Amino acid sequence: MREEEKLLVLLSQFELPLKKIDNILNCLGERQSIDEFFKSKECKKLISEELYANMQVCASEARIRIYLENLKNSGIELITKFSDNYPEKLAYLPDAPYFLFCKGDISLLSAKSIAIVGSRTPSNYGRIMTDKLSEGLAKNGVCIVSGLAYGVDSIAHRKALDEGGKTIAVLGSGFNNIYPAEHSNLAKDIAEKGLLISEYCPSMKATRYTFPQRNRIIAGLSDGVLITEAGIKSGTVHTKDFALDYGKEVFALPGNANSEKSELPNALIKSGQGQCVTEAEDILTGLGMEKNFKAQNKQKSFQLSLEEQEIVDLLSDGDKNIEFLSEKSTLNINILNSYLTTLEIRGIIRRMPGGVYSLA
Amino acid sequence: MLSKVVSFGLRGIEGFPISVETDVSNGLPKFEIVGLADTAIKEAKERVRTAIKNSGYEYPNKRITLNLAPADIKKEGSLYDLAIAISILATSDKLEINPKNFVYVGELSFDGLVRRVKGVLPLIISARKHGYKKFIVPKENASEAGFIEGVEVYPVSTLTECVNFLKGETIIEKVKVGNFDEVVSEGECILDFSSVKGQQRAKRALEIAAAGGHNLLMIGPPGSGKSMLAKCFPSILPDLTFEEALEVTKIASIAGELDLKAGIVSKRPFRSPHHTASTVSLTGGGTNSKPGEISLAHNGVLFLDELPEYTRHTIETLRQPLEDGVITVARANATVVYPATFNLIASMNPCPCGNFGSKDRECHCSPNQIHKYLAKLSGPIMDRIDIHVEVDSVSYDDLKSEREEECSISIKQRVDRARQIQLDRFKSSSNFSNAKMSVPQTKKYCKLDKTSEEILRTAFDKLKLSARAHDRILRVARTIADLEGQEFIQPQHIAEAIGYRSLDRKYWG
Repeated sequence: MREEEKLLVLLSQFELPLKKIDNILNCLGERQSIDEFFKSKECKKLISEELYANMQVCASEARIRIYLENLKNSGIELITKFSDNYPEKLAYLPDAPYFLFCKGDISLLSAKSIAIVGSRTPSNYGRIMTDKLSEGLAKNGVCIVSGLAYGVDSIAHRKALDEGGKTIAVLGSGFNNIYPAEHSNLAKDIAEKGLLISEYCPSMKATRYTFPQRNRIIAGLSDGVLITEAGIKSGTVHTKDFALDYGKEVFALPGNANSEKSELPNALIKSGQGQCVTEAEDILTGLGMEKNFKAQNKQKSFQLSLEEQEIVDLLSDGDKNIEFLSEKSTLNINILNSYLTTLEIRGIIRRMPGGVYSLA
Repeated sequence: MLSKVVSFGLRGIEGFPISVETDVSNGLPKFEIVGLADTAIKEAKERVRTAIKNSGYEYPNKRITLNLAPADIKKEGSLYDLAIAISILATSDKLEINPKNFVYVGELSFDGLVRRVKGVLPLIISARKHGYKKFIVPKENASEAGFIEGVEVYPVSTLTECVNFLKGETIIEKVKVGNFDEVVSEGECILDFSSVKGQQRAKRALEIAAAGGHNLLMIGPPGSGKSMLAKCFPSILPDLTFEEALEVTKIASIAGELDLKAGIVSKRPFRSPHHTASTVSLTGGGTNSKPGEISLAHNGVLFLDELPEYTRHTIETLRQPLEDGVITVARANATVVYPATFNLIASMNPCPCGNFGSKDRECHCSPNQIHKYLAKLSGPIMDRIDIHVEVDSVSYDDLKSEREEECSISIKQRVDRARQIQLDRFKSSSNFSNAKMSVPQTKKYCKLDKTSEEILRTAFDKLKLSARAHDRILRVARTIADLEGQEFIQPQHIAEAIGYRSLDRKYWG
């Protein structure tokens, strides 16, 4: 292990701001070893007495070995900026993360990947389209990167897992403080079948500053960023900005011009910063990837009874609530209810909160 | 001189005989009551003395000692006034009345009028069990006694009337036993399902809930008509049987909420306590133990509007009654059991602002807020609710539509039929509705054929239902099959039942 790498491993144990780590690394500069660094005057100027004492205690070879072993025992692998297996995609970023705490399959770090990000409270349209696009991408073997947040993020992760695809979740907190807590189970699944990464040490709690920071990793790790639904002032704007800075492709799902949730993607399409996406193939083509799997038009491949066809026809021009369906259809409410369930189970229609149905 | 008369006390809804024993002896004029009496009884001294005096009788100017036996049970309330007065008057040689053979109940006013008291009906029913046949009750309460066979109830309006009756000087007509069926057909429901426009699915869900005795939760934005639907719900419930009506009347009588004109409650009660209601007001109890809202909803409907707004503690207390049909209120001085078998209808908004999932309005809640809101529903309570149904706001066109909506009476006919099937099915067991089926019964009566089994399995897989939904779906499917008069559950029944588990779905948040 080189001295720089060793210093980073040492620093990763403390919740230090990026700036400070920058300074410490600069300070190490030409000095030959950590010991020399500790003895230097600048060092004492740079870090507080308490931290200095703590760091000295932890700096011994033995302590570092124990620290790495402990991480390993809890299934965490630490990759630092100076490690050999540090992902190439991140390496050239101006603000590349110093540490990557990883849980899961680290080979995914170099996989072809798309980030899917957006609103934490997507509309039904956003839900469905995120679901559909994630499915198409996952089935084509593209790794889906996102941030484990509510809404679009979790829909994308879940779909990737359901389809047996690959997915990476980049956390805005340490592993021991999964945020939001409701997604702990999702995080567990991702760690088992995909990859969970965080640049923060496991004990770190999420703050309002950590989320924009992790967005740069999401943008950096992926070959393109897809924004399905997001407001013009939402956190997704950060991810978009990072992606554009890093020269990544940005894809946007068009939405209704009067919908708050589609403001950002629509604006991106309008300004030409984002490519308009209506199906997963658009993204694959945009990135010059291969299409192995062509999504089929499900409705046509299914045999529908007369009654089922009636329901599907009613839904053909957009989402409808149960009220509308029972009003317009000739079926009795009990029959209608049971057909709606069977159609849903067969994957032909979808049910959304509020008793709203749409074609899948 | 010693005299003894009988009155009755109440513990919960059960009565127990109280012997009012009076001794009048020479000594300093004094009136003392012993036998664990509460303040209302202690104050009876003054009411009784004044009432006797103002009725023109002589109040013994001697030492009066009065015992309420059994002496180790606490007694409360003003219903012993009449018994005490008669007991004192009976010690006098001049009046020569024979107070035996009667049970006396009533409060006295200063001018000798006999006032109404609470709990006359349960009291008479208990007394009949103890072998008492003749009663003297306040005239205002007489109607309560009008549906009990095998007792003679004499209504009195003044103390004088009572004394004259005992002396045999006047004749009082005993209360006639009324015909319950007449009363039932008389009462009319004001709210009818035909007045609710649209909301087909919610109506259907309520029909199933009524037919199978299932508890139901409505989820929808404010103004979508949840409360209206709930208020219509009693109109499709089967009529009260006489036994059920007596139970309901008993509780209403104790709570003092009985309509004295009718004398008996003939419609299923509908109670909707506000969400700020205290736990005790729901369960019953307190120092003067009174039945709570859930007991007042006995054999009827308990409607909890805005379910997540109730305090958690309050909601948790519903667990025992939902399971056992009774509520046990244990206090330092007594343990009281009130019946509480009710159909729970609850409603809630899908999120704090109420618009989550609405087609027309945008929800402005953060996912965190929505999660917190939904987390207020505790698992154990959700486990007891079989049907979830989403209610969306009604469009203007629907409101103005001329379409004829089905009226409650025709829905009720289907419900009645389904209930009859269940009564036959559960003849030999203690429960009487599909909702209350035990696990072995569910296994026995909810057998699925291959197709249905397959639907249920794929539903769990694809729709990500939680495991606890399984038996609930089966029970609801059983009720749907009963509504159609089918002996076996068909695939379409199970498919419809699956549609009523929306809160189990993972799409919330």
